[in-house]
Amino acid sequence: MTDPLLEVKNISLSRNDNPILSNINLEVNISSVINIHGRNGCGKTSLLKIIVGITEPTSGEINNNILSDDNKNITYIGHKHGIKNNLTLSENILFEPSIYHDKQKNIDHMINRYQMDKYKDYLSKNLSHGQQKKISLIKASLSNAKVWVIDEPYSALDKDAIKILDSCINEHLSNQGSVIMTNHEPITDKEYKVVNFKVDCE
Amino acid sequence: MNNFIRNISKEFLLASRSGLEVFMPVMYLIIIMIFFNISISYVEKKIILELIPLMIWISCLLICVLNLESIFKDDYEDGTLDMFIVNERNIEIDIIAKVTSHWLLSNLPVVIIAPLLCIFLGLDMNTSSVLFITLLIGTPTMSLIGSIAAALTISLKKNKILISIIVLPMYIPILIFGTGAVNKSYFNMNYGSEITMMIIIFLIFLVITPLACGRAIKLSLD
Repeated sequence: MTDPLLEVKNISLSRNDNPILSNINLEVNISSVINIHGRNGCGKTSLLKIIVGITEPTSGEINNNILSDDNKNITYIGHKHGIKNNLTLSENILFEPSIYHDKQKNIDHMINRYQMDKYKDYLSKNLSHGQQKKISLIKASLSNAKVWVIDEPYSALDKDAIKILDSCINEHLSNQGSVIMTNHEPITDKEYKVVNFKVDCE
Repeated sequence: MNNFIRNISKEFLLASRSGLEVFMPVMYLIIIMIFFNISISYVEKKIILELIPLMIWISCLLICVLNLESIFKDDYEDGTLDMFIVNERNIEIDIIAKVTSHWLLSNLPVVIIAPLLCIFLGLDMNTSSVLFITLLIGTPTMSLIGSIAAALTISLKKNKILISIIVLPMYIPILIFGTGAVNKSYFNMNYGSEITMMIIIFLIFLVITPLACGRAIKLSLD
């Protein structure tokens, strides 16, 4: 059996002596989708930030087995999309360091897939929240990251966009990738298998 | 290196779309010098000439402080800084690219205009060129020092005053050596030691800043 890509071991997090997360254990295996769900303020986003290395946990550790790999990276889409308002969609992708720009065909294909062709030369500040989210999803899809970590991926997306995202996730899974996402509810209606992981409020 | 150039190109493109903002530091300098000259017009010409380069140095220092806040602010607000941290990729290169582009866009125009202003106001060519050299070494050092304070205070909404309080004491040695060299050059004295000291301070912060900034950004995002 292969090692999990990521192991979350006994993670606890406190802020000003208030416990937010306690003893979280989680394994992310190849080609798996983990849905971290729970009520508002339960620490879902904090857990994601610990997993990607932005936040230091109070105790516990993350074993990242992807880092030994060549195509190592994790891609992270948080509440802030990492998109520059004064750059166009194409420019936002052009300046993304994790994308291999020799694959222009892939870039065009992905923009087309998310139905954003028309908006290629629009400044991001003139796009809606959902369209900006699509740009960040395009960036994630184009990166060679093994693990996609996405905070509430389906929020702000319409039905068509959700279908497109699901098909991209499916493709990513078939390429031995994995996805960690957060939602308010467990996911049961997807074509791919989802491991629902509930975070309880402390 | 590719990443470094890509980051700088991005900053230039963003600056080109931000309207006349890039010209503000130069405008500030010109305005300060006009007011300075009006306010001391009754002073003897010889004394004014001695004061002009020093006044320009102080103006440049304050202009540097004014725009420090912007180094990481936008990246923090739109989530780009999060991407710096994820994957532990070369955050130091990203930071140096940010500081370099900030200096090129905000401070280099001032460094170029300042000696021209000096010549326009009647200062000799030699002192003006020394002023240019000291600013060329001093302003990037100030950007490097300031970026640490900017990174430390990034998560605070109104961080301008705090940044000033943190950086101004650290700018004193640069100000002393910078103005010292210009002053000595005005009186035809040897100013080599001041320039050497400024280069040493610059090199020290060139090494320290990426590491300190990286840690400070991580702390601020935590």
